[in-house]
Amino acid sequence: MLKKRVIFTLLYDNGSFMLSRNFRLQKVGDLQWLKKNYNFSKLSFSIDELVILDVTRTERDRKKFLNHVRALSEECFIPIAAGGGVRDVEFAHSLVNNGADKIVINSLVGQSIETIRNIVAELGSQCVVASIDAKKVKNEYMVYTENGTLQQSFSLQEWLDKLTEIPVGEVYLNSIDRDGTGQGYQKELIEFIPVDFQLPIILSGGAGKYQHFIEGLESKKVDAVATAHLFNFIGNSLEDSRIALLKEGYNLAKWDVNNFESIKDIFSPAEKSSK
Amino acid sequence: MGASIHYKVMRAPKVTLIDYGIGNLWSVVSAIKYLGAQVDLISDPEKISRASILLLPGLGSFRKGMEALKDTGIDKAILRAVNDNDARILGICMGMQLMGSYGSEDGGAMGLGLIPNRVERFTKEELKGNKIPHVGFNTVNFSDRKGLFKDFPKSSDFYFTHSYRMLLEKRNGIHATCVYGEEFLAAFEVGNICGTQFHPEKSQTNGLLLLRNFLQG
Amino acid sequence: MKEVLWCNNCLNMSTRPRITFDKRGWCNACQWMQEKKNIDWNAREEELRKILNQHRSQIGGFDCVVPVSGGKDGSYVSYKLKHEYGLNLLTATVKPPLSLDLGDKNLNNFLNSGYDHIHITPGYEAMRILNKTGFIEMGFPYYGWLTAIMTAVIRTALNMNISLIFYGESGEVEYGGSSETKNTAIYDIEYMKRVYLSGGYQKVLKKSGLNESELYFFMFPSEKDFENKKVSFAHWSYFENWDSYRNYLVAKEHCGLEEAEVSNTGTFTNFSQNDQALYSLHAYMMYLKLGFGRATQDAGIEIRRGAMTREQALNLVNLYDGHYPEEYIQTYLEYYDMSQSEFDLVIDHWANKELFKKINGRWEPVFTIK
Repeated sequence: MLKKRVIFTLLYDNGSFMLSRNFRLQKVGDLQWLKKNYNFSKLSFSIDELVILDVTRTERDRKKFLNHVRALSEECFIPIAAGGGVRDVEFAHSLVNNGADKIVINSLVGQSIETIRNIVAELGSQCVVASIDAKKVKNEYMVYTENGTLQQSFSLQEWLDKLTEIPVGEVYLNSIDRDGTGQGYQKELIEFIPVDFQLPIILSGGAGKYQHFIEGLESKKVDAVATAHLFNFIGNSLEDSRIALLKEGYNLAKWDVNNFESIKDIFSPAEKSSK
Repeated sequence: MGASIHYKVMRAPKVTLIDYGIGNLWSVVSAIKYLGAQVDLISDPEKISRASILLLPGLGSFRKGMEALKDTGIDKAILRAVNDNDARILGICMGMQLMGSYGSEDGGAMGLGLIPNRVERFTKEELKGNKIPHVGFNTVNFSDRKGLFKDFPKSSDFYFTHSYRMLLEKRNGIHATCVYGEEFLAAFEVGNICGTQFHPEKSQTNGLLLLRNFLQG
Repeated sequence: MKEVLWCNNCLNMSTRPRITFDKRGWCNACQWMQEKKNIDWNAREEELRKILNQHRSQIGGFDCVVPVSGGKDGSYVSYKLKHEYGLNLLTATVKPPLSLDLGDKNLNNFLNSGYDHIHITPGYEAMRILNKTGFIEMGFPYYGWLTAIMTAVIRTALNMNISLIFYGESGEVEYGGSSETKNTAIYDIEYMKRVYLSGGYQKVLKKSGLNESELYFFMFPSEKDFENKKVSFAHWSYFENWDSYRNYLVAKEHCGLEEAEVSNTGTFTNFSQNDQALYSLHAYMMYLKLGFGRATQDAGIEIRRGAMTREQALNLVNLYDGHYPEEYIQTYLEYYDMSQSEFDLVIDHWANKELFKKINGRWEPVFTIK
């Protein structure tokens, strides 16, 4: 049976990793900080997927970002989706060559469907994740692009329809209202998703603790839950969250985490003998 | 702990990862290196035909994949290596699909024919309400727990991401299946030819274990 | 060493003055969080309306004073009183010493969103001397300012014939201290004097060597000053369920509140206490005296509002609590006109030796949070 997924999202801004509060960024630390406090090779065994987004507010240094994606993907044997400022097929290729399995696009949906079709043609639709940032305005959900600054004239429904036409592989649906608040996912947003929506949905925005993941996992419309909360899930928290969710019977993938160490360098006894 | 690991004392296996311009090779390289084996990215058909361990990755459409293999002459090189020189080969995801007889994606194309199975898109009826692409971890059931599937429990979770799959029309050798609306071929080992629809390099320790089995065989 | 306990729900420490724990080991702030769920907030809102009506100015003057800093809490209270209850309010700020750019910006943004305001600047030197005296005598680095935000505001209210001052929350009730006023809607000056300035007030004023006119803004009005007037005080947290995160969201949306670009020192948040440099020293002194700092306080708020679990909070507190305000030391030394060694002597004096040990020139905790 297809499992649901728990996804961790890293928000990158010009060499630093950030915490987002309703799309306002707080600098937390660099790659060293992340390695020290998140013990990345161990961490990746507690999650199903990693998403790395370049949300740099100033001019983007693509090469620097690619280097970070590459560094993060080492010893990380899970799918990695990367994006942020993807505007052409070449950059999509660069991301794939630096460790990304999937490309995340956002503003491009509002700028050039043609380019997206080209990326899909080259890499396959399952390699393209369309991320949508939505905010409640009056009584309607509106879509924002350009790091949440540009309100689109399309409603969320129209946007979702566009995506199924292309088609992309998955949708990463993020609530700007709940972003970074730790108040849990927006129930209304879940309700808004059409019952028979054709593409897998990754829900994001508002998770602060594992109990919040449950709200998403319990809905038939949600295929994966994501969090970008860099503070709340520090240390063992993601590992503990997964253990708690599995214990409570949620449909997540299982693997033997203990194998990790014993399998390393199994074909190179020289390295092993130092143990 | 080191003393109790059972493995054949041998030179670290040397893997030839086929580079035909398609696929995320980085992760596969990473996984193989993690196991302590050697891996080279090779695009030269001559070298490929003489390799003893081959890995065929893949991404995108079946037809484009076959075109790329033909254009580079790598298709023939693979056949020589496997059929004439007894090379061991593992096809991953689309790489596995390319080893089949035919793939209907994107206009259709003949495959390498290393195994007789065809590759078709999941149909709406078959899917029974499930979404396309099939993406995420799903449970894989093994026909036998040996060879490629040694040391696994009866079923294990692996990472899939695909809209097309290999039909179960012929089940040769040992194989593994997965259910997504309906049962499809998830992995197989027929003599020296292996394939996994799922991504072992993306399947946590389960995937690493399977790669170990492939390299040990 | 006397046994130290931590709340089983949040991470409040038993060293906190006036804290109590129930059978579950939950501190009074956490108990209060639960009690609040059963309070008839509608009834309390009714009380609020009655009180507001009693104090509305009959002559078109100001109805009440709301002390603000440009931060989330004062902004929230002002916003509610003005837009929801139609009050004609006067906001008041006592200028902090060593104000930060972000704080100044936030105050401006707040004012630009449309509030009457009075800016009180007690004499720089008097403030400085009181702060320094408070730092040395009581381990309170901005004692002068803490005093003035009450006394100067009260004087102003009195002088302008405004009979009601609205504070944000009762820190004692909300964060783990005396529960005395949790059921008190409105109170008078005697209570204020008693709790907030317990112990040190007279001592610091005397030790400062300042005369009465220099201390005008730092002294409570006398009986004579009151004449026939009365000033009452209320905490907003009595009338509405206090939620400082909600305040932050509203202030962000309606009053132009901006956050710092990096985490504030000693914690993981970036949206509060951005107005003055001395706050970091204040938080550090609290850490040395009591064993917990800003991260612990912020973690408690996050846990109680359901955003994180105690286990998650523990990771953050261990990582961030008790940060030595390296970045401001030079500023402090210049401000206080102290040398590093004089400064260190004060720090050393106030560090709780049962909780800390000096290693390589820094006070390190000898306890581990359980």
